[in-house]
Amino acid sequence: MDRPEPVTIEVDGRTVPAHPGESLATALLAAGERAVGTTRGGARRAPYCNMGICFECVVTVDDVPCQRSCLIRVRADMRVRTAVPR
Amino acid sequence: MSAPDVVVVGAGPAGLAAAATLGRHGAAVTVVDEQEQPGGQIYRQPPAGFTPPAGSSPAGRALLAEATAAPGVRWLADTTVWGVLGTRAGLDGYAGDQPPPGRYRVATHGPVGVRLLEPRAVLLTAGAYDLPVPFPGWTLPGVLTAGGVQTFVKAQGLLPGGRFVLAGGHPLLLVVAAQLVRAGARVVEVALIQRRRDLLPGPAGLAAAAGAGGKIAEGVDALRVLRRAGVPVRFGTVVRRAAGDPDLTTVTLAEVGPTGLPVSGTDRDVPCDVLALGYGFVPSVELARQAGCAVTWDSPAGGWVVRHDEWLRTSVPQIAVAGELTGVAGAEQAEVEGRLAALGVLRDLGLLDEHRAVTLARPVRRELRRRRRFVTQVLDRFAPDRAALGSLVTDDTVLCRCEEVRAGDVRRALRANPHLGTANAVKLVTRAGMGLCQGRSCQPGLCQLISTLTGRGPEQVGAFTAQAPVKPVPLRALAVGDEPPAAD
Repeated sequence: MDRPEPVTIEVDGRTVPAHPGESLATALLAAGERAVGTTRGGARRAPYCNMGICFECVVTVDDVPCQRSCLIRVRADMRVRTAVPR
Repeated sequence: MSAPDVVVVGAGPAGLAAAATLGRHGAAVTVVDEQEQPGGQIYRQPPAGFTPPAGSSPAGRALLAEATAAPGVRWLADTTVWGVLGTRAGLDGYAGDQPPPGRYRVATHGPVGVRLLEPRAVLLTAGAYDLPVPFPGWTLPGVLTAGGVQTFVKAQGLLPGGRFVLAGGHPLLLVVAAQLVRAGARVVEVALIQRRRDLLPGPAGLAAAAGAGGKIAEGVDALRVLRRAGVPVRFGTVVRRAAGDPDLTTVTLAEVGPTGLPVSGTDRDVPCDVLALGYGFVPSVELARQAGCAVTWDSPAGGWVVRHDEWLRTSVPQIAVAGELTGVAGAEQAEVEGRLAALGVLRDLGLLDEHRAVTLARPVRRELRRRRRFVTQVLDRFAPDRAALGSLVTDDTVLCRCEEVRAGDVRRALRANPHLGTANAVKLVTRAGMGLCQGRSCQPGLCQLISTLTGRGPEQVGAFTAQAPVKPVPLRALAVGDEPPAAD
């Protein structure tokens, strides 16, 4: 797959390269984040359905909570917080 | 902007074919879809600016081209439909009034916030999603649906792990495994719950297969790729546990006996970091149910399917369905149904006269009958044995991923309240189904458990009541100022 040149996004305060337009779930997995979500009980969760059904991959993007990372596309400089209890 | 004649919900094969047909015959159509680009999951395209490797020919290209070139079609991407309002008196207080006579209000949420569309007819083509089958460890990071893994590989060019096991009961697993191998992944094993002898086609199956050369060739090709790569494909094998701390490192596979249950003493631990699950699909009927469309239980077709007439019209006037909502049957049948449902809508809206609609529908119906013969054979062979799958659940198994409700919680709730026995009642007592996914992930497993524990059938257990919003909408989007959001 040929991709556009990577940009950087901020994930939990860390700077991470990502390709603009790819799904945020893809960028997070590629960056080694195996779990992106957390339940109120503290269990680690990761993308499961990858198509907007299960809400297991929700993260906070630019201070907006509960964004499905499988549906959100990477933009330069987006600020992502993972493991926010939902 | 003028109101559309028809809103099509979902831009997969059924929605694309419907939009093309509606547009060609002069209807003003708005197609709403949650993804960035049309195609649905099956014809999912790489993101804008991404180029797939040379030689890969995206399926559905002809249909996508036909639909995007059709006149009169508007596309609302990245947009969720969260309700069809105005189908029942008294239930549409949202915008402060009822929609104009003869129109419904389709409530959406997308990049521009909440937007209300007021079409004369609605065509629901929302597709299906992977059947969730709970078992110990299925919530661990690294356990994904086969469809989810396929999207990472095909549309994003990402291998979501290093060592893959694929398990379940659907031929999609073979196709995904072959795609993984082609993409350079290490596939350790493919485990199918069906025993090999149960999959051999009878005479009717062979006759029906004549109408589906493409699908069969795809399966044979996948098996060839797997054999060449040395990937074991084991039949009569089920995944009964996923384990690892904090993420997946091992799955436990077991042999399945004639009753569909795991045979004790046959457990094998297989190391892997991704487990892809594929047990078939569930029709996305939530929006149809919210709108008041009658549904009926059809287990081999995926569970609850929307009741419809010969023009694919539902029990609610001016709401039609096509594709997986009528019963899971795959992309090709969905496309044909999309065309048929569109002809029915055009006829009802007076955009096609009776004679012309019937004439145009004749070859479409013929094609549909041919495809259904094959699909019925496949469904019979790969239908999930829900009771057997339900036996994989232990008291400690999470059923509701969102609210972390375990099977033991449900068992205790039913013991304490022996008069309970419906999905809705158990939801109220345990919170199962009250989370962000609104029960999509837990309903099948929960209802099976209620059936097992109470002896009630699927119709008696029922489904969670579907209410708007059928997907979460931020309160802020609903409540901008005191003004109702503008109707589009």
